[in-house]
Amino acid sequence: MEAWIEFGRGPLFRLSFALMVLGLARILMLTLVGVAEALGRAADRRVACKEVLGKTLVWLFPIRRLWTKRPFYGTLSFLFHLGLLVTPLFLAAHILLVRDAIGLSWPALPRPAANWLTILTAAAALALFVGRAAHAGSRALSRLQDYVWPPLLAVPFLTGYFCANLALPPAAYQWSMFLHIYAGCLIMVLIPFTKIAHCVLLPLSQLVTTVSWKFAQGAGDRVAATLGWEDRPTWVPNARLNAPPERRPMVRKREVTTL
Amino acid sequence: MPLNDAQIARARAITKKPEVVERQRLPVRYHVEDLEVRDRPRRFLEAFAAILKHTNYGLALDHYVRVSAKCARCSTHCQVYLASGDPEDIPCHRSELLLSVYRRHFTVSGILRGRLLGDPGLTDEQIQQMADSFYNCTACRRCSLECPMGLDHGLITHLGRYILSEIGIAPRALVVSTREQLLGASGNTSAIPIAALLDNLEFMSEEIASIKNVEVRFPVDVEGAEYLFFAPVSDYLMEADTLMGIGALFHATGDSWTIGTGYFDAINYGLFYNDQILEHVLHKIRREAERLKTRKILIGECGHASRSAKYFYPAYCGGPDALPVLNILEYAHDAWKAGRLKLRNDIVTETVTYHDPCNIARPGWIVDQPRELLKAFCPNFVEMTPNGRENICCGGGGGTVSIDEIRPFRTSIAGVVKAEQIRATGAKYCVAPCANCKKQLRELMQDQQVDCEVVGLHDLLFKALDLEGR
Repeated sequence: MEAWIEFGRGPLFRLSFALMVLGLARILMLTLVGVAEALGRAADRRVACKEVLGKTLVWLFPIRRLWTKRPFYGTLSFLFHLGLLVTPLFLAAHILLVRDAIGLSWPALPRPAANWLTILTAAAALALFVGRAAHAGSRALSRLQDYVWPPLLAVPFLTGYFCANLALPPAAYQWSMFLHIYAGCLIMVLIPFTKIAHCVLLPLSQLVTTVSWKFAQGAGDRVAATLGWEDRPTWVPNARLNAPPERRPMVRKREVTTL
Repeated sequence: MPLNDAQIARARAITKKPEVVERQRLPVRYHVEDLEVRDRPRRFLEAFAAILKHTNYGLALDHYVRVSAKCARCSTHCQVYLASGDPEDIPCHRSELLLSVYRRHFTVSGILRGRLLGDPGLTDEQIQQMADSFYNCTACRRCSLECPMGLDHGLITHLGRYILSEIGIAPRALVVSTREQLLGASGNTSAIPIAALLDNLEFMSEEIASIKNVEVRFPVDVEGAEYLFFAPVSDYLMEADTLMGIGALFHATGDSWTIGTGYFDAINYGLFYNDQILEHVLHKIRREAERLKTRKILIGECGHASRSAKYFYPAYCGGPDALPVLNILEYAHDAWKAGRLKLRNDIVTETVTYHDPCNIARPGWIVDQPRELLKAFCPNFVEMTPNGRENICCGGGGGTVSIDEIRPFRTSIAGVVKAEQIRATGAKYCVAPCANCKKQLRELMQDQQVDCEVVGLHDLLFKALDLEGR
């Protein structure tokens, strides 16, 4: 068991962390490239920056907005995100690990605060799970990952709390630490491939939506021409003749394949 | 291979739950008359692929499939879901119909998973479900204000309808109008001949003369005029009071304006179902503006027409160099602000409330202007709650108001929240500066038995405008 823990803390952690960082960097880059491509296609490239920034900030710090509807769920969700971000990053034990590995360190949360935050986060995760299952609208929308994520995220918090605060027998401590590390690694690997990717993509959401409404000149005619005229409802006469040449995107768009 | 009757029946079947169908009283489908049901999944995917290749929708889809968190917050803001209670009406659920097709057929992970699990992919039932769902949405985009992940479900509805229309699924009412506008002899959605338009303008001049005792002309085909005016063409048939108010407004300001006989219709149903049509209709506006060498494009009281022109005219007709587009409310507000209008505040003394058309209020474009103007001559102005950018849709947005077959859906589900909102104000007049909102709200007031008269802003402005001395 000791060897498994060492493996998890060492190579597996580094691999998972690298996968997370590279995966998130990849989708971040793809999104930025997509924005550049879309603007390249559009004739009207004006973006209301102030408006986009304003809306982005409202949802990055949704302090005033969340209470308006489903206030209980909103509050829980806010506390949950706060705990998720703050606790692992400012936990003294984690900072020590980083300092030993690469020599960097930063101020840590006081022990009682870290403990309370840990319990709060885990409790909020479980409450969010219940809230999702109990709300008819949420239930209708939820996929498997939507149910799995809150309990999965609670695992490293609970096990971490046990290890740090309970006088566990050695076997129980090791199991707890094993779950703590491996759940953490699993989470890091999954982040770029699931909805948790919003941790880096959220600041771009409003920009993406705004730019997606920037339509390309002649695109409708080109779609019609691509689809051919035989079995398509033709509402526009000689549309192909009116189509202006395609604007070249700044970056070449990959071909879309079906099936 | 030809389809058998059972397959065709399945393709046309209503996929909603029986109790919802019963409540909506929606026994008829509203697609184009020659609904081709053969091979729809293949054709849908081809249309989807072609659209992704030539447009910018792929950016939003890629982003939305990654971040969509399914938190159901939008369910608290959709007036259709609030009234129907059917989970299929939750905006995020509707968007997922299309996002799941995108994920399955246009992302590597979806294609791999499909092959590994033997998932055959898009089915006819899914297409039918989308056809139902995307036209249950009024495309008001109120949910977009509330999505913590920044998804614009209105954009997905817009795209979903576009793809569906490319395989022949679009409301007949919209298609018939657009066909007349782009291919018909009259060249406008209401098929009004030029002679009838001129007669109408003449009649309105006479009416104004008899009411206000001044001669107000509606200038036609004036080259080099400052403003080229496009009303939603149905106004010429049904909203004479609004147009008379606009005529009187220009009489008061003395600015040069004109109506072009080459093209005079602001309506653009392309916004509701097909981008190619959206663009071609805007080119008709551009050609008329070029013919008459005007400097600004002015759109009458119409939400969707204003949004189409304001936000998509630059996209399709010259980018930043395109002619500026104004809505008549902006013009009237500017004129009042500059002290060019003499308004009497002792004429319209009844309680007046204001309904924000989603297409002009949601982006924050026209919110305060009409309110300031109304308060200047309506001493008893009351607000609805919520209002402005957060307003609630009339229930007939997204082109659904033109589909008469679904009036029960519009007035007993989509518009219920609005009806109660208006009832709560106790107003005598509800000002709705949009042709679609006006039609929907009148039907709604009738069906929900709310005692309130729906009018345009210029209907009231006409009453209050003091034209003496001009």
